[in-house]
Amino acid sequence: MRVTQRAACQLLCCLLLAALPLAASAGSRLLATGGVTQIEGAAGGGLSPWAVLAGTPSSDEVGLTAAATRAWLNDYRLSVGGVGVNVHDRLELSLARQRLELTTLGGELEQTIAGGKLRLFGDLLYHPWGIWSLGVQHKWLEDGDLARAVGATDTRGTDLYLSGSKLWFAAVAGRNLVTNLTLRHSAANQGGLLGYGGDHNDAASLLVEGSLGLFITPRWIVGTEYRQKPDNLSFAQEDDWQSLYSAYFFSKQVSLTAAWLELGSIAGLDDQRGGYLSLQLAF
Amino acid sequence: MFERSRIVLLAAVSSALLMAAGCTMRQPSQPLYADLGGQPGIAAVVENLMYRIADDAHIVGFFANTNIDHFVASLEQQLCDISDGPCQYQGPPMDRAHQHMGLDDSHFNRLVEHLDAAMIDENIPLQTRNRLYARLAPLHADIMRLQ
Repeated sequence: MRVTQRAACQLLCCLLLAALPLAASAGSRLLATGGVTQIEGAAGGGLSPWAVLAGTPSSDEVGLTAAATRAWLNDYRLSVGGVGVNVHDRLELSLARQRLELTTLGGELEQTIAGGKLRLFGDLLYHPWGIWSLGVQHKWLEDGDLARAVGATDTRGTDLYLSGSKLWFAAVAGRNLVTNLTLRHSAANQGGLLGYGGDHNDAASLLVEGSLGLFITPRWIVGTEYRQKPDNLSFAQEDDWQSLYSAYFFSKQVSLTAAWLELGSIAGLDDQRGGYLSLQLAF
Repeated sequence: MFERSRIVLLAAVSSALLMAAGCTMRQPSQPLYADLGGQPGIAAVVENLMYRIADDAHIVGFFANTNIDHFVASLEQQLCDISDGPCQYQGPPMDRAHQHMGLDDSHFNRLVEHLDAAMIDENIPLQTRNRLYARLAPLHADIMRLQ
């Protein structure tokens, strides 16, 4: 596993170096209008997908993003690697790999997420209703034994979501405010890492996710996110997720996000909170 | 325990937003036109913008058949009008002014980037720039209507 991590770091460094001479190749949309990469690989905040599409490509352009993310919780450590493609600012395709290390309980869980997001209409900055997108995330666990053991019905599942985002110019103290609302249809337990459906509730739920972010400067946004969660398993309570985040856009190519996560109880271990770092490169 | 920490989080965010809002309330903002520096301020921004457009191969072509003096006067008048200055924009409506030019978002965004850079050059503060964008953003729909 260490070898994989090192290889991932090396790959990331190579990508970073490769990105520097490509500075002119980023898309023509304005800085930060693609958000960052959320933990399931879609463009968004940290916890929740937003309606914006990855990177900064405009109508005739194609963009690529790559992100590496890690979260350190009291009893778990989450690592995510993800890539995204934005085709003409209409369609986003993404692939993410999550690994949750159970540092207290021992062992680890891995899942892969293939995502798609279609921009229905609008624009984050210019449209009076903002931008609205429809997304899908198909997820499958590498090894479903633990998920089944705790009562999950399936080890793969598909989330559907509708998301709307809008930037309000000069909304607070002359600063621009971003708001996002996402409605998700999902049966995933802890985002899918504990499988789908369960002995307590087997049906998919309609869940609300919301984000607020204030651009302190055009390069620096701080805000908070909230993600409602289902509670499908009888063996342990599942709580809603929340974060405080700060993201800095060094350029259209490089952004770094730091956050404080409050994820509540996960698999019987309460008060899971901790730091989060995510680096995104865009081409 | 968890609920309490959530309340603390929400309180921290809300108070930060309120403090930020409080800052604006303490200093009642002048009319946008005055914050832009009045007519001299707007003229300086427009001149700076024109040099940036002239150097940009991606969009300069759209101005090939434009009477630049006339365009500059018209843009100054429009910015004056839209920022509540003592002017009335006399030019053509935005959709007709840009019809069939073949503009897309890449051209629009490039102009926005140049305008932002020009205002930064002319020391227009962030709050003022954002207030102007709030008024310019709705023009996007008009400009793109007849492309």
